[in-house]
Amino acid sequence: MPVDSGSQALSEALRSSFVVVKFVMVVLLVVFFGSGLFTVQEGERAIKLRFGKPVGAGEGALLGPGLHWSWPYPIEEYEKIPITAIQTIQSSVGWYQTTPEQELAGTEPPAGPSLNPAADGYVLTSDANIVHSRASVQYRISDPISYIFDFNNASNTVRNALDNSLLWAASRHTVDQMLTRDVIGFTDAVRNRLEALLADHKLGIVVEQCAVVTIPPRQLKEPFANVLKAEINRNKLLQEARSYENQVLSKASADAAGQVNLAEADRVRLVAEVESRARQFQDLLPKYEANPKLFVEQRISEVMGRVLTNVQDKIFVSQGSPGAPRELRLLLNREPVRKTAAPATK
Amino acid sequence: MTLTIGILLILIVGLLLFVFQVRQSEVVVVTTFGKPTRPIKDPGAYFKLPWPIQNVHRFDQRVQNFEDKMNEGLTSDSFNLLSSVYVGWKITDATAFFPKFAGSSKPMAEAERVLERLLGNAKAAVIGKHPLADFLSTDASENRFAQIEQEILDSVRGQVKANNYGIDLEFLRFKRLGLPEAVTQSVFERMTAERQVLINKSQFEGEAEAQKIRSEAESRAVAMIGDAEAEATRIRGRGEAEAAESLAVFQKNPELANFIFKLNALESALREKSTLVFDQNTSPFDLFRGVGTNLVSRPGKTQ
Repeated sequence: MPVDSGSQALSEALRSSFVVVKFVMVVLLVVFFGSGLFTVQEGERAIKLRFGKPVGAGEGALLGPGLHWSWPYPIEEYEKIPITAIQTIQSSVGWYQTTPEQELAGTEPPAGPSLNPAADGYVLTSDANIVHSRASVQYRISDPISYIFDFNNASNTVRNALDNSLLWAASRHTVDQMLTRDVIGFTDAVRNRLEALLADHKLGIVVEQCAVVTIPPRQLKEPFANVLKAEINRNKLLQEARSYENQVLSKASADAAGQVNLAEADRVRLVAEVESRARQFQDLLPKYEANPKLFVEQRISEVMGRVLTNVQDKIFVSQGSPGAPRELRLLLNREPVRKTAAPATK
Repeated sequence: MTLTIGILLILIVGLLLFVFQVRQSEVVVVTTFGKPTRPIKDPGAYFKLPWPIQNVHRFDQRVQNFEDKMNEGLTSDSFNLLSSVYVGWKITDATAFFPKFAGSSKPMAEAERVLERLLGNAKAAVIGKHPLADFLSTDASENRFAQIEQEILDSVRGQVKANNYGIDLEFLRFKRLGLPEAVTQSVFERMTAERQVLINKSQFEGEAEAQKIRSEAESRAVAMIGDAEAEATRIRGRGEAEAAESLAVFQKNPELANFIFKLNALESALREKSTLVFDQNTSPFDLFRGVGTNLVSRPGKTQ
């Protein structure tokens, strides 16, 4: 079939432009569907929305790190959320003005004679004292959908609730309870109030940890320290008094026990002695009754014999003539002979 | 093939032109030639005519945070109290909200300016009704902290409703409470005085209590010794009583008993290192008077 060279050129041109159009269409499609691809980085999560509604519920709605695909707008959308497993929030009221550098260095700005409400935070205690207090709370997002889609800035809401909890708890504790006497009670009050507020606001988070630090105003460091010192001193005095008490009582109880024991020993000895005498008497009684005179003589001689061997000096004085006085001189040296002799030999 | 791709593309372009999404976090007002015609609250996909016929205005439907500035209020007992509150508010009625605020380039900020004004009035009114003790009290029944917050909230809510701003307050709480700067100095002075009282109390109590412990210990010790002495006397008495029972035996022959006692006494008295002086009448030395001694040869001197 003879073909018109003109129409042939036209169809050539048409065919090639069709190729271009086809190519452009394919590119458009790829771009359209490709725009649904997205990656979720470590430390963030994403939620897919189909026709504006989140896909999935609760923590199941969260897409983890990796490559994901969603239908492009207007069918689906996705929302990325910067999230770490545990979030930390610090209260923003109640502490004096300080910079992160000073925090790190552990220093503080010089304290003026008064507190400027615009700059320096503090809380008022139930006894109308001023103290600095700050809380830091760690929480976990248990319902990301409500956290993201019900609140414009949920972490700010948490901070506000924390600030309020601090004020509220301080308003019903005295300065001494907050600083020393009931630190735990105060912390618990902050936490309980915070949890109540969060539940009331339906934020969809769970408080994992809540720590509260309270200090007296820097302007009054010394008076507060002195109270502590006085208390320590008082405890020391009491401690000393108690140890004195222990000492006195244990000595008294030892003395008392000693007295009682001594009396007990005396009693036992006395009874035993008398009993042994009685036994001796019982033994001797028949012999005596057999012949009293002989028995007495025998006994005396026996005893005299024993006694005289023990007696150191025995002096026998015979009776002198009546009317003529006799004189007996004794020089008694009761010291053992050996003992006096020993130093003499030196 | 080409056809399918073409249809797909037409569909996509159509979707983009005629369909729009409403997110869960949004509320939308559709305007036709600039007039609001349709508010949409629920999330989903909706139809619209393409621009410039219809336009979609989106507003954040979520709870917004707003904090007002610290401002001074006078309590009913004339204390100057600085306070700032935070509120959570959100758009509840887009049709009411749109005409009031959409004219501004930042409708949310505009709404918050209105809120700030309402808050200022409500706070001043409510704080003026309460003494300082209602804000600060250890006694849970006297502490009206939460009640005051609720009163301010109710007041602001009433105003918002009355003016039909199309918004509502979810919650209202105090964010800060403070005292004017000059007052803090006098509070510090009072606190210092209170500390001094505590210091004195500690010192006094410590000394008094320590003294009490010491003197109590001493008197208890004396009592213990006294008791022990009484007990000792009692024990000795019992010993003597028990001994006395045994003594009854001696009644059988008092003479022998006396004799034995004397002998025992003699023996124990002369146990050691003693000097004895006898005359010849003492037994057994009376033997010397008998036969075989030279004493006999001097009869004048003996009896």
